[in-house]
Amino acid sequence: MTAYTEKIREIAQRLLKECKVEMVIGFRAGTMPMMNEPCFIRKPDQADQLVWDSNCGINLANYLTNRKEGKIGIVAKGCDSRNIVNHILENKIQRDQVVVIGVPCLGMIDKRKITRETEGEILAVTETDGKVSVQTAGGETTFDKADVLQSNCRVCTHRNPVIHDEMAGDPVAEQTDVDPYADVKAIEAMSTEDKWNFFDELLSPCIRCYACRNACPLCYCPTCFVDESKPQWVGKSQDPLDIRTFHFLRAYHCAGRCTDCGACERACPVGINMRVLTKKLNKDCLEQYGWEAGLSLDSRPALDIYNPNDPDEFIK
Amino acid sequence: MKNLLEHMGVEADRLHFSWISSAESTKFVKVVTEITEKVKAIGPNQHFVKQAAKVA
Amino acid sequence: MKVIKIDKAQWTKGLDALREGYRLYGPVKEKEIACFRELADGQTPDSEIKNTRLSPKSLVFPQSEAMMAYSLDKNDDEQGICKEVPKDYSPRAVLGIRPCDAKAMVLVRMNFDNGDYRDPYWLNLYEATTFVGMACDNPCSTCFCTTAGCGPYHEEGLDLLLSDQGDHYLAKVLSDKGQALAQKAGWTTEADGQPMESGKATAEGKITAAVETDRLRALDTLALHGADFWEDISFSCINCGTCTFVCPTCWCFDIQDEVYGKKGVRMRNWDSCMFPIFTVHTTGHNPRDTKLQRLRQRFMHKLKYFVDKYDKGIMCVGCGRCVQQCPVNIDIRKVSHAMNSLDAENFCAVQGK
Repeated sequence: MTAYTEKIREIAQRLLKECKVEMVIGFRAGTMPMMNEPCFIRKPDQADQLVWDSNCGINLANYLTNRKEGKIGIVAKGCDSRNIVNHILENKIQRDQVVVIGVPCLGMIDKRKITRETEGEILAVTETDGKVSVQTAGGETTFDKADVLQSNCRVCTHRNPVIHDEMAGDPVAEQTDVDPYADVKAIEAMSTEDKWNFFDELLSPCIRCYACRNACPLCYCPTCFVDESKPQWVGKSQDPLDIRTFHFLRAYHCAGRCTDCGACERACPVGINMRVLTKKLNKDCLEQYGWEAGLSLDSRPALDIYNPNDPDEFIK
Repeated sequence: MKNLLEHMGVEADRLHFSWISSAESTKFVKVVTEITEKVKAIGPNQHFVKQAAKVA
Repeated sequence: MKVIKIDKAQWTKGLDALREGYRLYGPVKEKEIACFRELADGQTPDSEIKNTRLSPKSLVFPQSEAMMAYSLDKNDDEQGICKEVPKDYSPRAVLGIRPCDAKAMVLVRMNFDNGDYRDPYWLNLYEATTFVGMACDNPCSTCFCTTAGCGPYHEEGLDLLLSDQGDHYLAKVLSDKGQALAQKAGWTTEADGQPMESGKATAEGKITAAVETDRLRALDTLALHGADFWEDISFSCINCGTCTFVCPTCWCFDIQDEVYGKKGVRMRNWDSCMFPIFTVHTTGHNPRDTKLQRLRQRFMHKLKYFVDKYDKGIMCVGCGRCVQQCPVNIDIRKVSHAMNSLDAENFCAVQGK
């Protein structure tokens, strides 16, 4: 994906030179292995800062809203572009304010998985041709990229940007033989007691840092429900029920809007996979309303409009 | 909401939805009786109840 | 300072002896995540762990802590009276805390125990604890303790400092508490401390990361505050609480009551200056309602305000946790460099030029 870097820089430079945008949001190289830092540039000569590789898992659409700039360029992979569509549909930004530099994505690597499967401290990680090389003080290990993909990327069926004004590369083939909801189905098959315990286990390391909420482009409420105090809806302590309520309700607020970009899981300092909650809602939306978030600018989200054919067997 | 609660481990029969007008008193009685029976059948809610914050 | 030799074969026996007088805590792996927990019977601290995900500050400063409780029952004689929640302040020992985290406690103590205020909850736990440190012979690549006022063999805040010598530990006794613990464990063989001196020099040489702080004290506060690099640095920040929660020198908390029908509890929870509502006033006004203001405040506090107020160096011990865990890779070493190299001479605080 390094070829993308050159193209992104070229496009960004051109857009800024031609004053088509006031800033371009992208990634620059991070100081830690497998990390890149979201950044912005305002001048054409800063374009060399921008990079693109398989460590661009944070969703840049998160930085797009509530900005004072009139026109913004943004680098967006498949899932990010769907979030941009979502932002437009939810009136957080106008279509003509954004210049989307689309990136057909072949998947991001999962830094936690690699750390787990490597002995010793990781000093550097490089990627070439579908192989990921991990350097430690003790030597080098190579993984197949396919084995260390982020779990959402492994089952992604929307790798190509759904809107774009520029493209950093040619479209890639969409995956067809994957089941995006396999993990959700596994939980659905559990007994009620097992389900309760599963989530107890899953959420036990949570430290209420809200990295998941803040990394999520959908979470843009001026005052989040956990921060409300008049009245207070959820306790702010480490009580396990309050922790569970936070995750459960946040997922619910993302119902029908989540694009499974994985930024929440990636941002979490203790590696919680809270996507099993949002994915359940995505699955229900797909099955009940035939709806997947952010695919088109032309249709209103399923939970936004009423259709006489909407399923109603849950209500008496 | 019902599906998500169930997914998380709260029995499906604890949450019910019904659309009842204030003019439909018979329906109201019927629905309330049904729900009461259903919830009683599952028993008291053991899990999703906060008695006091479990903190240090 | 006396140095004791502890044969590793004697280690578990010593721990068992300690259990009679102390509650033991140490670094363990809980489902892949390294953290400090109370050690169960027979459990030993995991010596493979270099750096825990969260710092051990939660041992003396739990993330959620009930402080007082009260009854709201009208029939209760003591209705409405806040009573202290009974706590267990029996002696405890932390085995295997790193020197950076121990020094951090000393820094935090400056806040919780000063001329005006003493925080009884923090101090009671701190004073009940004996800190048995483990020197770092193999620091992480993100450790920068030597430029942050401590080091892999630093002694501040520790009662005993252990150094792994292969088949035995050497333990330097640093206080009466440390002496008492060693006695209780039956670790009494004196030894020559020279290997610790050379171990220290070797370990310090292995530290590769650094923060630049030499000009911070002298730099003009307003010049730093008005510098133009804050926009660039704060852009990626998502204002989560990760850096503040993993940081051993962060101490902010929020107090609130929770009421359950006829009884209530007053508790405190960790709070973070990165949260948007951290500085919201009851009027609704928020002096730090932009991300840039909050991020700037955090780094100014760590690297400038604390330096000016106490003249004891920066409010950071170089543990590297924030660098490892920031979801968007904001790096205090980069920020410190930007601040430290600010050309303040050509800066006008009023015009911003």
